[in-house]
Amino acid sequence: MDENNPITFKVQRYDPEHDDIPHFQEFVVPSSRYMTVLDGLLYIKENLDSSLAFRTSCRMAICGSCGMLINNYPHLACHTQIEEFHSDTLTVKPLPNLPIIKDLVVDLIQLFNTHKSIKPYILRQDAEEMGSPTVEYTQEPHALDAFLQFTHCVKCGICISACPTSASDRLFLGPQALSQCYRYCADNRDGGEKERFPVVDIDHGVWHCHLAGACSEACPKGVDPALAIQLLKRRMVSRAVALGKKQQPSSTVPSPAETKPKLPCPEFTVK
Amino acid sequence: MRNTYLWFMQLITGVLIAVLLGIHMVLMHLDAILGFLGVDVTKVTSWESMIERSNQGIWAGLYIALLAVVLYHALNGLRKVILELTPSARAGRVTTWVIVAFGIVTFIWCSYVPIALLSA
Repeated sequence: MDENNPITFKVQRYDPEHDDIPHFQEFVVPSSRYMTVLDGLLYIKENLDSSLAFRTSCRMAICGSCGMLINNYPHLACHTQIEEFHSDTLTVKPLPNLPIIKDLVVDLIQLFNTHKSIKPYILRQDAEEMGSPTVEYTQEPHALDAFLQFTHCVKCGICISACPTSASDRLFLGPQALSQCYRYCADNRDGGEKERFPVVDIDHGVWHCHLAGACSEACPKGVDPALAIQLLKRRMVSRAVALGKKQQPSSTVPSPAETKPKLPCPEFTVK
Repeated sequence: MRNTYLWFMQLITGVLIAVLLGIHMVLMHLDAILGFLGVDVTKVTSWESMIERSNQGIWAGLYIALLAVVLYHALNGLRKVILELTPSARAGRVTTWVIVAFGIVTFIWCSYVPIALLSA
């Protein structure tokens, strides 16, 4: 891409207070090498039309705010360079399968509510220790590897926007919540399967996944929600038909400060 | 875990359909295999042969079992498709009960002939 090559942004605009249906507005943005789509939108906001609404925060693919449909594929705008598209025109729309608040801003309340419903935190019987921890829970590296990739979810909603089941079934829990359900059930410190399984074992829950795999393909963080959903299904069937060994939540270990010998203090170099 | 059991049954009935329908297909359509086994292929598809098989408990049981697993597999699959397109709890309940009633009526109706022949 040439330096300062003008790029035409076709941005979907929609203000529910004034518009009946969404429409497109074109903006010409001077681009440069390594410029991201978010940079282009910020240029529009600062120089061409300050009324354009979109979410952004960290600009480094960590916060998950700037998920949007760029050239009909869901991306994080801050994580997508304009030159990737090899085109002078970019079409930018809000994420599908989610209600539009304004322009490129979608309502993520449903996502967060569903996420909360699967109790995304460690559940154990030892409530006293959980409330005021005095020791640590054992977790070996291989136990962490079993779910580590699923912890990278930034809750951007891109997997839901790519999911064909979410498109046809608005009550479907969605790949984000289902993969996070597996992430916590697979955690060897957790013992909350009995509380989480009834949440996902519903008509519009885990068994509604078509295994299209679109969520895994679209995830900007490299998470594989389709794999998590399959592993969750296997875990649920194992529990239902009493196959496989159910592991007890990991035990506690004293803090390293109590078990390891105190390292000798180095000699002072300056007396 | 109701939906988990329903899905597991879907898996089991899928395997059973492959086995039972395989037996049916071999018997009715694969003349070469039957000829190899020494069965008179001209007689297998005749009315008399069908009645004779239905009078035998093992064949009647096989066909009733095939009917049951096909009905479960097909109607549960249909229910899941309809539930996806009817995003409301009430519509879901109505769909489930209509499909359960349809399945029971169809099973009784279709298994009547072999049961009547067996008890004749």
